[in-house]
Amino acid sequence: MKTQPAMRYAEIKTSTPGYWSVLIGMAVIALIGFAAAHHMDVEGHHITGMSNQVVWGLPHVFAIFLIVAASGALNLASLASVFGKQAYKPLARFSAILAIALLVGGLAILLLDLGRPERLVVAMTHYNFKSIFAWNIILYTGFIVIVMAYLWLMMERRMHRWSKPAGLLAFVWRLVLTTGTGSIFGFLVAREAYDSALLAPMFIVMSFAFGLAMFILLLTLSFRLDQRELDASHLQRLRKLLGIFTAGVFYFVVVFHLTKLYGTQNHDFERFILAEGGIYTLLFWLVQIGLGNLLPLALIYAPRLQGSSSTLVIASMLVILGAFAQLYIIIIGGQAFPLNIFPGYAVESSFFDGVISEYSPSLWEFLLGFGGVTSALLIALLGIRVLPIMPEGLPAETQ
Amino acid sequence: MQIHPPLLRLLASIILLGASAVGLVAAADVSTSSFGEIAIPSPNKPADAANCVEPVAVMRRDHMKFLLHQRDTTVLEGERGKKYSLVGCIDCHNPAKANEEIVRYEDPQHFCAGCHNYASVKIDCFECHADRGLSSSQQSNLSLQADRLQLSMQTFRQKLEQPRGD
Amino acid sequence: MATELDNIELRPARRQFLKGAAALAATLVAPGVMLYKTGQASTSGQQLRWGLLIDTNALSEADVDACVDACQREHGWKAEVNSPTAAQWIRKVKLTDTESGHQRFLPMMCQHCADPPCVDVCPTGASFKRADGIVLVNKHTCIGCRYCMMACPYKARSFIHETLKDQLPVAPRGKGTVESCTLCVHRVDRDGANAVPACAEAVNQGGRKAILFGDLNDPQSEISQRLRKLGAVKLRADMGLNPGVRYQGL
Repeated sequence: MKTQPAMRYAEIKTSTPGYWSVLIGMAVIALIGFAAAHHMDVEGHHITGMSNQVVWGLPHVFAIFLIVAASGALNLASLASVFGKQAYKPLARFSAILAIALLVGGLAILLLDLGRPERLVVAMTHYNFKSIFAWNIILYTGFIVIVMAYLWLMMERRMHRWSKPAGLLAFVWRLVLTTGTGSIFGFLVAREAYDSALLAPMFIVMSFAFGLAMFILLLTLSFRLDQRELDASHLQRLRKLLGIFTAGVFYFVVVFHLTKLYGTQNHDFERFILAEGGIYTLLFWLVQIGLGNLLPLALIYAPRLQGSSSTLVIASMLVILGAFAQLYIIIIGGQAFPLNIFPGYAVESSFFDGVISEYSPSLWEFLLGFGGVTSALLIALLGIRVLPIMPEGLPAETQ
Repeated sequence: MQIHPPLLRLLASIILLGASAVGLVAAADVSTSSFGEIAIPSPNKPADAANCVEPVAVMRRDHMKFLLHQRDTTVLEGERGKKYSLVGCIDCHNPAKANEEIVRYEDPQHFCAGCHNYASVKIDCFECHADRGLSSSQQSNLSLQADRLQLSMQTFRQKLEQPRGD
Repeated sequence: MATELDNIELRPARRQFLKGAAALAATLVAPGVMLYKTGQASTSGQQLRWGLLIDTNALSEADVDACVDACQREHGWKAEVNSPTAAQWIRKVKLTDTESGHQRFLPMMCQHCADPPCVDVCPTGASFKRADGIVLVNKHTCIGCRYCMMACPYKARSFIHETLKDQLPVAPRGKGTVESCTLCVHRVDRDGANAVPACAEAVNQGGRKAILFGDLNDPQSEISQRLRKLGAVKLRADMGLNPGVRYQGL
């Protein structure tokens, strides 16, 4: 094995007007998002599209996406530290900061959407340990602390040998965290759309795919910002990974729906998602499966496109689009379908029993969601500016 | 850019004078008596001021502790009507009035609002809790329901007497 | 003046308070279902459990409307037609048998399960079950995450979407928290086994007891005797939640 020169990391130094205007633009969007959250807090949730039927809406779609992507973004650091794949080592620091940034963004949306966000202190001091939600509060905040420590250990050369155990802890923690996130839904026995042990591992594979897609996008962006060299060979390695993870997500979705289809009692729900659900059916087939799974797989594995970095970037964007559709169907579609309290009866009431509930996201929810995403991006982009996280260059490997 | 020292002094004195003027005007706002005095807030006192559950000095310092403890025993253990019950406090401190306007928490004359506005200690009790007592006829939902039921009782009786058509 | 204040003996009150607070903190950390002593003594010597027996055969549509009406008047909420964000503690449900076409009406409210999923999922423990079986939301601790609403198999809970005014003293309710039927807990705490929830009061006229409130754990209570004689069903019984509200005629 040839010894390679020590990797040099440096803060990005770009200071073009374009760079600053993008950053300021993001900051403005983030602030608008917080203002929207404040307005929701003052006015009450009646200004949103959420109701007593669909209690979690678009903000939760954004938040869960960011949290799932955060845990997945750490994958590359784990591949280096835990699985010893030296090829990913230069990207490990960026992986860590991206994980922190995405999680903070997702957590911010979740907390700002609470009915009483000022009671955050109550949430952090009163725990019902039977609730997966309570565990998630600990897992999310713990993740931030652990990954920050991990990042520091990676950057501090004298502490370098501790980065491996820290990486292992971060890896295990993020598996538990993603299991916890999937179990938020998986543990809900009351609803036909959930109540499945499959949701936890499905979320883990989703995190691999979504996290890697975000990582690829932001990696290419960050290298381009400072015009640092990023040889295509590094991206091709990521391409294969994205292909495997996207195929994995597809597999889990197929198994989930096939299993539900086997139970006659679930036929109404499956018919709703797969055929008669209007927006949900459209999102499922066109966006989640078509644009989010099949098209990226085609782009990734097409022989003629093998060397192209831009197809990888497009594939990543498609995966993210599919991610939003998938989470929208899981979170909102799952709530829109009515509870089956009286089997054998047609039900009617003033509380929307027995009917598909309607939901259309309001402007405030979009603003809050975008605010969270831009907050995450800001943290990442400012982080690589103040800390030596980005490799100075990733030329073609000399092996 | 160099600022000339005398000019600097002039600027500083103008700013200080302006600030004190604003401060004095603000203080004058608060006071109800002569210029420069800070007045203690004077919300409506309950009619039976001598019989509060604790001495005034104790209540001033510790009323929040009694309330915070009582709310848990009421919600979690079902203890109602005890010494520090919030409904009891409100019934005395802001009872229903026959023909006058009901004082709500937004009014500075509300017993709680008076001091809390002055001390700038925000409370959120009245986001959920009733900030005023209800009159005895309103209080007794039973009688209210009975009144209402009289009407529907007639309908009920009619319906009950009819043969069931379904 | 200052010394007078210092001499006031606050220590017993403070010690009591600290004891209470420590006990409270300890119980709040207990997982899942949290049990609190209530002031009620059980006549049968067993832990009492409040429940409702609803005879849907005896309830016409007007009766169920009266139930919903009575609950609104008692607690100060308003059912708004076709408003997805309006709170609804109790609702009239119209059931039409898909095969025979038979129609019936029944009131649907929080079922006060023995193993409530809403209590299991609440992150702060605000959703809790009292020792006497009544499931409540401690709105002082509720952070408004709405997870209990996702978890409830009966869609019993409502989230308050706007600022409220004119709350009734017996029913504090406010923006950003979750609420549901309390089994008229303010009446139960006052009257014990003689309590009549507002919905029951509205329909129990002339000696009939279309909605019966009582102690399910007391074999001699009227509700237990009626259950023994006529039986009743639990909604979504397959979930094993053992609700305290039972229905006859389904």
